[in-house]
This record gives sequence, C-alpha cells and structure tokens, in this order.
Amino acid sequence: MFSFLKPKNQRSDRKIQDINNQNQSNNRPPNLIESSLSNNLEVIKQKTGNSSDIVIRPLKIGHNSKIKIAILYVKGMVDNQLVNDFVIESIMNNQNLSEKLAPQDVLEVLTEDVVAVGGIKVVSDWEILFTALMSGGTITLIDGISKGICASTQGGQRRSVQESTTNVSIRGSKEAFNESIETNIAMVRRIINNPGLWVESINIGKMTKTEVSIMYINGIAKNEIIEEVRKRLNGIDIDGILESGYIEQLIEDQTNTTFPTIHHTERPDSVAGNLLEGKIAIFVNGTPFVLLVPALFIDFFQSVEDYYERFDISTAIRFLRTVIFFISLVGPAIYIAATTFHQEMIPTKLALIISAQRESVPFPAFFEALIMEITFEILREAGIRMPKAMGSTISIVGALVIGQAAIQAGIVSPAMVIVVSLTAIASFATPSYAVAISARLVRFIFMVSAATFGFYGVILVFIMLIVHLCSLRSFGVPYMTPLAPFIREEAGDTIFRRPIWAYKKRPRLMSGPNRVSQGEDQKPQPPRTRTIKNTTNVGKGERNES
Amino acid sequence: MEKAKISAYQLFILIILFELGSALLVPIAIEAKQDAWLAILVGMVGGFCLYLVYYGLYSYYPDIPPTEYIQKIIGSFFGKIFAFIYVLYFIYLSARVLRDFGEMLITDFYWETPLFILNTLMVLIVIYTIRKGIEVLARTSELLFILIFLLGISVLFLIVVSGIIQISNLEPVLEEGLKLVIKTTFTQTLYFPFGELIVFAMILPYLKHPEKVKRIGLLAIGLSGLILASLMAINVSVLGVNNVTRSPFPLLSTIQTIEVAGFLERLDVYFILITVIGVFFKICVFFYASVVGTANLFKVKESARLAFPLGLAILILSITIASNFSEHVKEGLHVITLYLHLPLQVIVPSLLLLIAFIKNKKKKSKQSKNLILKRKYRLSERDKK
Repeated sequence: MFSFLKPKNQRSDRKIQDINNQNQSNNRPPNLIESSLSNNLEVIKQKTGNSSDIVIRPLKIGHNSKIKIAILYVKGMVDNQLVNDFVIESIMNNQNLSEKLAPQDVLEVLTEDVVAVGGIKVVSDWEILFTALMSGGTITLIDGISKGICASTQGGQRRSVQESTTNVSIRGSKEAFNESIETNIAMVRRIINNPGLWVESINIGKMTKTEVSIMYINGIAKNEIIEEVRKRLNGIDIDGILESGYIEQLIEDQTNTTFPTIHHTERPDSVAGNLLEGKIAIFVNGTPFVLLVPALFIDFFQSVEDYYERFDISTAIRFLRTVIFFISLVGPAIYIAATTFHQEMIPTKLALIISAQRESVPFPAFFEALIMEITFEILREAGIRMPKAMGSTISIVGALVIGQAAIQAGIVSPAMVIVVSLTAIASFATPSYAVAISARLVRFIFMVSAATFGFYGVILVFIMLIVHLCSLRSFGVPYMTPLAPFIREEAGDTIFRRPIWAYKKRPRLMSGPNRVSQGEDQKPQPPRTRTIKNTTNVGKGERNES
Repeated sequence: MEKAKISAYQLFILIILFELGSALLVPIAIEAKQDAWLAILVGMVGGFCLYLVYYGLYSYYPDIPPTEYIQKIIGSFFGKIFAFIYVLYFIYLSARVLRDFGEMLITDFYWETPLFILNTLMVLIVIYTIRKGIEVLARTSELLFILIFLLGISVLFLIVVSGIIQISNLEPVLEEGLKLVIKTTFTQTLYFPFGELIVFAMILPYLKHPEKVKRIGLLAIGLSGLILASLMAINVSVLGVNNVTRSPFPLLSTIQTIEVAGFLERLDVYFILITVIGVFFKICVFFYASVVGTANLFKVKESARLAFPLGLAILILSITIASNFSEHVKEGLHVITLYLHLPLQVIVPSLLLLIAFIKNKKKKSKQSKNLILKRKYRLSERDKK
C-alpha cells in the first residue's frame, strides 16, 4: 500500500544526529580543535567576527595556577545563574583542581567532578562546538588539550507557558506550547509518562541550525512512517528554518494542492492524543506550532474538546461543522446558480422578494458576489494585520460601509450581503485555519462555475474536488481515510464521534502491529442490584458478586 | 496493468453506482407497461447468470484482463481482433451514456447551451479522474455513494410524504401475461443495464480479495436490481403508465411532482445531482476499461497518457453518434441491442467460457479454485514485502 515500503533497516540508526554528523564528516574533513588555547581563542574570535555578545572568561587553575583555561558563552542565551554558580564558581573553588595534575587529567576531572551541570559532552570538532556555543551552551577550553567541554546551560528570556490563542477550548488543559523546544517536549512528556515515548533530534538549516525533534510512541507508531519522516527530514538542505511551516512545505507529499496534508497544533493534549493514535509529532525550536503526520482530512474538522464532551454533544457539533464547511465552500455559488439559472427552484414568494431587491442592482449576481467577497477578504486581511487598537475602527467602517451604505447605494442587494456574511462566519467557524483558508480559495472556483453553468457546473467542480481529495496522500496514508477507503471500525470517529468506550482499536493505516487500545467491556453500567449501596468504590468485582 | 488494488467493498459500490448510472435517467422496460418493475427483476436474474459467466472466465484467468485472456483462449490473431472490438465497444458505450446525459441536460435545464460544451465539461472531469487511476476512482465512489444514499433516502421520504404514490397505477399485474415481461427482458433489461457489467471483467483483476468477487458481485447486482425495480414502480405509480411512456426522463417528472408543505417543490436539483454523479461513474468505468484495454492491447506502458486522446474520441463520438435525440434513442432500443449487446455481452463470453472450460478440462475442476487461492497467496506475499 505504501510506495515507500522497503525492507526495514534495523533500529541501530536511531539517532538521526549521528547519521547527520557522519554525512557531514563524509563531505568534508573534520575541522579539529587545536591544543593551544590562545590559538583556539583566536579562531573563535575570527570566526565570530569578535562579536561583542560572546563572553570569554579566562581562568587559571591547578597547582600554582599553572593551567590556563577559558570559559565561553553567549550573553542572553545562557542561564546566568547556572553558568556563574555551577560552572565558573565550581571550577574556581574546587579542591581537586588545586592538586598536582597533568594537563591531560584536567579534562577528565573537569567533566566528571567539577562542572555541576547535567548535560556535558566533550567535543573535538569546531562545527559541533560552535553549534553548541551558539545555541546557549557554555564551552570550556583547556590549554594543551585539543578538546572542548560543552555544558548545556540554555536559558535566557523566553515567553512563559500561556493559554492557546489559536486552538481555544472551553474544557481541557489551558496550557499551550511556547517557543522553546525543551519546554514543549517536556509538556508532552508530562502527559504521557511512559518510557516508550521516544524523541529523536536533528539540526536542520545550514545557517540557523534549528533543532527539530520527532516524537512518537514506540510500538504504536508505524515503523515505515517513522522511517519516511526521518528520510524526508534528512533530505532537507536549506539555509534556514524559521517556523514549522518551512518543514511542512518541504516534507509534504504533494505540493499542487490547496489542502494541508500536515496538521499543526498549539496544544500539548492534542499532540498527546494524536501520538496515542500512532501519529508522529515534529517539534521545531522557536515556534509553538507542532506538526503532526500523517494528517487526514477529517483531522482538520476535529478539536480536542470533542473527546472531552460526551459523544452525543460532540457528534452534533461535528455534524454542524460539516454543514459549516459546505456553506463556506458553496454558499455564494448556490446563490448565484439559483438566481441566475434555476429561478424555478426558489419558492415563489422568496423569488419575488429577491428579484425586487435585485431590480435596482446594476450588476449580475456573480459580479455582485465577487465584489462582496473581495471586499470581505480585504476587511479580513486588514483586521489581522492592523494593530489591535485600530480593530474597532475597521469593524465600524466595515459594518457601515459594506452592510448599510452599499445596499443603500444600490450596488449590492441585501440578500447577497446575508449570503456573503453567512459564508464569512462559516469560514471562521471551521476549527482549522489551514482548511478554512483553502476553502476560501476553492470557493471562488465554485462561484465561477456556478456563474457559467449553474448547478451542473457546481456539481462537476464538486466531483472534481472529491476526486482531488481522494487522490491525496499524507505520508502514504490516503487523505480521506477512513471514509475512502472506508474502514468501518474507524468511521465512527469522523462525522460522528463514538463513545470513548467504543474505541477498541487504533487506526489501521497509521499504527503498528499492536492495535488494541483499551480493555474489553469498558462500557460503564449501573450496578446489578436495584438498591444502590452506599459504598465509595464500586468496582467490577463487587458488581459481579451482587 | 496499473499497480493498484481495490477492495471488495469498493467493487460493490462501483457496481451499484454503475448500474444506477444511466438507468436512472431513461424509462427502462417501459414496453412491459405497469409490469416494468417485474421485467427489471427478471432481467436481474438474467444479470446473475451473465455475471456468473464473466466470473467463470475470471476464475480461469484471475490475474489478467479480458483483452489478454481472450488471446489465450482463441489464439493471438482472433483474440486481438475480438479484444479490439471490445475496446471499441466500451468506447462506444461511454459515448452513448454521455450523449444520453447531455440530451437530458439540454432538454430540461440548458436549452440554449450547445451539447458540445456540456459534454466537454463532463469529459474533462472524467479524464482528470482516469488519469489519477482506479484507486482514486474507487475511493471517490465510496465518498459520493454516501451523498447519493442520503439524497435517495430524502427523495424517497419526500415522495412518500407528499402522498403522490397511487398503487392502483401498478394494477393489474401481468395484464398481458408473462410473455410481454419475458420479451421485454430479453430485448432490453437483460442487456441494459445488467449485461453491461461485462465491463467489470476489465476491473476484476485489480481486486484485493479474489475469493469475494462472486458474492460481492451478485449482491451488488441484486441490490441495484431491487433499487431500479422499486424506482420504476414508484415512477409508474406516481405518473401512470402513459406519462412514463411519453416522458423521456421519468424520474425527473416524478421529482417535479413532489410538493411538501408548500415550499419544498421543484426539486430538480436533486435529479441533476443524482444523475450527474451516477453518469459520471458509468462513463468513468467504461472509459477506464477502454483506456486499460487499449494500453494492454497496444502495449502502452503508461495508460494514463491515453486518457486525453481517448477522451477526445469519446467526446466527438458522443456528438456524431446520432443526428438527434430520437434517432439516438431508436438506435439504443433496436439496433444496438440486437447487433452489439446480444453478441458481445451474451454469445461471445459464453462461447469463450465454453472453450476455456474445454481447454482446462484436463485439469481438475478444483484447480480453477486453486488459481484464485494461488493469487491470494501471491497478494499476501506482496503485502508482506
């Protein structure tokens, strides 16, 4: 089924970073650190153009202060307290160091006994050393030793964990991701406390060296898909990654489509839920938006809250969303088709009202709709880019000019204003902005087809849209799964949302061999006895006894 | 052959949509008057037999399309000639369906639009679909089937609610005896829509579960036969025999008579939706068969490349096939049935089956089953890889 199905490589190549480093080292000879400290410092100064935010702190340690070392870090990128207390101070005050030591042993003593920071590694390659330095590490160089010690002291000012602004929900966890990749990964780990939650990291971008991590649950995610994600990420060779959108556009299956084939979210609980279904999360440093692959079409119509509410409520809301999506797609097109080609379809009284309104309008319905739609798009774009203080001005101007004055001036009919504003509201109500924005584009195609061929045109474009959607794949998984190909046991989580206790298995095309997700007989039942016992904990065993 | 697989459920839906396709449009079996529904049911039984013939051929050669196994059965030279005739037949049939549909649009909705434009739009969509391959077609059918299903249910509900069904229009049953029903069956319903299933012989090799082909096919034919029969019964009971005979598109007339609560009326758009989708699939299946058949016969590696030239051929053929609608209908009812449907749907396949049976006689009858099992094993091996 998957085009990339190939004999699986063993898990020995788990660390992407290793592969990546090997690749890099294959390409060019490794640029190694020298043993002379002053030379090394000279290299660093030259490479960084003597940048003023790089702090170089020379120290003398050891017996009679004979050994020269230097500590380097970038101002603002490190946790100052960490560097002062646990690197500089502990080096200066350590007893072991005042003994007689050969320079070779200093490195060992420093890494093992002195520097009191968690993440420590010894490097000999300039490339790695600079990446560590520039991403907020603290480097210790020792005179006479051609190696450097990198301590991970990342810190500095970051936005704190705040409430989500794009995926708002009434019920459920309020915290959203922020720009720090460590915080984001930790937030998911806090939800899934399981050693099976695996994270692999890789640095992408020749200039930015952005840290990108993929996260999945070992045993639930499908190996072929993980392999494919790794392959595509490793294939990226670009100057910079500024946001997860870069990654999204570089690894998606098909580029000539307006529909998103990769999902993104700002909520840790959403990521956790998707990981449990066998999906793979891609974290990118510097952005709160985490990518989820493979993404299905229906994923964009679901919000985490659907699973927190009871199933009947959620099902009703999902039905509503389907209707909303249809309105935002074909709303104006149907109005145009009905008024231009199929007047007989409109009930007589309504047809009379509409034609009376349209009597003074100088434009055909299509042109009228086009004016309104474009005006609305302008308003929306202005509303997003404007400073917040100007927002109310925009809405007043928009409401008055578009709503009232345009009708009074006789440029558009009131019925058209209703149709366009309904469509606009509908496109805001779609849970995913990515899909709403593609619906916005496709809507214009529908409008043109309705203006030229009426309902026949609309239906043909609709069929073409469905064919197009069915031809898409996301990481090998057909986009319209589980509706087409129809998978009965998963179709309950599409337009419907079956009860939680009915989720017996994980999705077939995305999860690994073990697909059982919950125990048998999860449906809650009232106790068998008529009278309810006043016990605090009515377990299953007790129920069976009575 | 394209490397694709479709599931049994997808085949089921494709068959149903194919059967309903243009049969929804035209008054089928109306020669049998109020017993039209009966003629459809009898035709359905005949359809079972024909399907078993096609299935028999498939079970001898489950891996290859008819254009190839026909050469194995009657030799390369004659086989190629017959395969070519079948490809032409499929092209012709898709052009016929396209013409039927275009005429319907012109008669009822787009009086001033040229037939050429309407047909061109449809052909463009079909070409687009076929270029994407059989898997995409099958998935599309699954999605649109849901839509058709909902529409059908709601139309049925509206017809019942508006109280226009008069069962007395269906009486008396068998007024002119069983003879007329049998005659209608053998001159019409057996071939259209049921005999046209021969086109699925081109699609069966793509099936993921070969052991389900027989059951699924028969089920789908049964279901679509029942739907068509009840639909025809509804048409007759709503409109009366005379109106149905005179109306070129009786379902449309039935839908037009719906009136509920004073404002749910003139639901012609329902009819457009149902027929566009149905006809779309019917043309797609015929077209796909002709594209794959041509590719197979002339050893074209990328069959998708043939979609454009063949689509153009179908488009032009659909315009030039007849000079007007009555000629088109007359051809369909009298000429085609006798000289194309009867030999190509019934006689040739039956003879082929006979020859194939004799050729494989030495082997025991179990081996045909073994072939299917072998293929299933091979598929599962491929899955594992």
